[in-house]
Amino acid sequence: MIDWGWVVGHLDDIAFLLLQHLVLVAVPLAAGLAASLALAVAAIRHPVIYGPVTALTGILYTIPSLAAFALLVPLFSFSWLTAFIPLTTYTLLILFRNIVAGLEGVPSDVLEAADAMGYRGRQRLWRVELPLAIPLTMAGVRLAAVTLIGLATVVSILGSSFGGLGLLITEGLQTFFPTKYLLGGLLSIALALVVDWLLVRTERQLTPWARATSGRAAGA
Amino acid sequence: MNELIGWLTDPASWQGDSGIPFRLLEHVAIAAVSILAATLIALPVGLWIGHTGRGAGVAINISNIGRALPSYAVIVIILPISLAISPDYGLDLIPTFVAMVILAIPPILINAFAGLQAVDRDLLEAGRGMGLTESQVLRDLELPLAAPVIIGGFRTATLNVIATATIGAVVGFGGLGAFILGGRAKGIAGLGELIGGALLVTILAISVDLVLAWLQRRAARRADRSMGPARDFRDLSEIPVPQFIP
Amino acid sequence: MRSFRTLAIAVAMLTALAACSTGGGSKPEIRVGSDGFYESKLVAEMFAQVLEADGYKVTRNLGIGARQVRQPALEQGQIDISPEYVGSGLGYYDATKTTSDGEANRTALAEALKAKAISVFGISPGEDTNAGVVRADTAAEFGLSKMSDLAAVQDKLKWALTPDCDANPLCKDALETYGITYPPASAERLAACDAPIAEALKSGGVDFAWLCSTQPAIAQFGFVALEDDKDTQPAENMTALVRDDLLAKVGDKAAFQERLDAVLELLTTETLTELGVKVAVDQEDVADVAKAFLTAKGLLK
Repeated sequence: MIDWGWVVGHLDDIAFLLLQHLVLVAVPLAAGLAASLALAVAAIRHPVIYGPVTALTGILYTIPSLAAFALLVPLFSFSWLTAFIPLTTYTLLILFRNIVAGLEGVPSDVLEAADAMGYRGRQRLWRVELPLAIPLTMAGVRLAAVTLIGLATVVSILGSSFGGLGLLITEGLQTFFPTKYLLGGLLSIALALVVDWLLVRTERQLTPWARATSGRAAGA
Repeated sequence: MNELIGWLTDPASWQGDSGIPFRLLEHVAIAAVSILAATLIALPVGLWIGHTGRGAGVAINISNIGRALPSYAVIVIILPISLAISPDYGLDLIPTFVAMVILAIPPILINAFAGLQAVDRDLLEAGRGMGLTESQVLRDLELPLAAPVIIGGFRTATLNVIATATIGAVVGFGGLGAFILGGRAKGIAGLGELIGGALLVTILAISVDLVLAWLQRRAARRADRSMGPARDFRDLSEIPVPQFIP
Repeated sequence: MRSFRTLAIAVAMLTALAACSTGGGSKPEIRVGSDGFYESKLVAEMFAQVLEADGYKVTRNLGIGARQVRQPALEQGQIDISPEYVGSGLGYYDATKTTSDGEANRTALAEALKAKAISVFGISPGEDTNAGVVRADTAAEFGLSKMSDLAAVQDKLKWALTPDCDANPLCKDALETYGITYPPASAERLAACDAPIAEALKSGGVDFAWLCSTQPAIAQFGFVALEDDKDTQPAENMTALVRDDLLAKVGDKAAFQERLDAVLELLTTETLTELGVKVAVDQEDVADVAKAFLTAKGLLK
């Protein structure tokens, strides 16, 4: 079903599409992380915003991406904004809730010890609370990254200007060329699995104190 | 906004198998059947692994892999196989169904496992000491306590499936996704349909989620009442571990 | 996590920089768009390649969708150039003016587009019309050779229509002219002129499909293209639609038009069909096929 001769002959095109896909994932992920961090910190300080933010990001989350992309074209044409905006908003729910849960999960005796040691507000946040929130944050980043890899395949339905692995799938479906769409599908899956694995490793690296604990299922 | 109202008030939008009632039904049907199938597969396995504690690593790995699979990719990969099996249903129905089942399994599996694992082991030992059989321990002690988390898994699965089933329209499956793709294909004339389709998906997803959230809270209160606060539900049941929505 | 974010931000900045640097030329940047099916992509790619050879920076957005999506994109300035079929293109604006004369259609289309500040270039000798197609066995079973034969057996057939059919006079009105109640009882929506709709016809999922007359699938699968005996389909020579604001930025408008017209002049019906086989059957890259063709004909060095 897959014409490997075609694959070998098109390795550079495939590599380029893969790179485009990574950009389609990395940029919204970074933007979403920054936004979610800001929102989460605000939510810890002013708990009243937690509900509305969760509700809003939740609603944004349920808007089918195809519709979101299509509706932004009249506004932003086929520029990267049309792709990046929905991709970023999809990460917000996941990241916001995970970071808040991470920050809330910091034991109060640790906070007291930090205060006793003289850490002030922002210092305490950056040097104590956020590092301890890393496990749940990373779980969220992992989920968001893998989600984005899937979402980025859909934007190709709008046309070739965004590229990415989804273009292989969409073009393959249009001319019923199984090599293209199967390859696009398999590569998307492979990319998601590799990124997921890499982020698990990163999470473990960043939390050396957690390595002693095993079998944590929550947030995994 | 005008276009949306125009589409909603046009009687033709409500008729036939491209009409709102039919497509809504299609969408609910595929979601329900997929979640049912996923439950039949994932729930027993998740409960068993959670209860016995064995095979946790395998469960987590399968769940991770399943969660990483982009649904659009799954649909196209299934295509050649499903077309060979059934030319009639193999283009749209089978791939969409399979992709939705794969999407729904991980949260149901993981939350069943996590919910049971979080139950206080001492409580279970006490139960066994009092003469309860294993199945009684599961049914009368573990399940009520784990229920909120397990329902949380269903919430995630349902939310994801309802929103992701729209992608089936790319291979011809109807449902609400057909309004999105069809509306888009009609350009300006289809704007109302496009917005309407997206809106219907959102409303459906949120409504179902609200019902499940209510069930979840009830289960949490019941667990608290009968067993005392066996543990803190907040960190597990309030994060529904959302997943891919196309 | 911090280094990951730094990397991501660096990538974003690089992307932004790359997008910003258009090079210090006086030639405007051109965005070429096309419809979703192979033929439109191929001709758009040809336009893009000759323009690139002339030193323009060209961005492609091929496969935007059907006319209902692509034309608004052109009107709103999201793309600058697109290939077009004069009959259907005219029908999109005014179905009453379509004729079976390509030149007449082109003139009428140019009239209609004047208000939208879009120019219509020359026409190709070849045409690619909408063809109502059935399988050979269906034609034999119901004795179908022309479109008028369909009315009698319409309820026995499963129909494949394009998603924009409701709003497309050449689809909906044409069917009604032939006595088909619209919408037919059993109708699938599949994109025009591409493999899925041809596959559906071939496999028996549908019995009637709107295909393109130059689509290789017709010959490949032994389909029968029904005769348009009531002349519902106009002449469909190809042309290029170009936004006036792009033309204003181009130095020599006449030379610019000559360039694209030179491409169009090469497109005979046979050529379109032959190239169609390369792209849709042999699955060769649109870019490669375009390049080989244009080089062989001397439009590219």
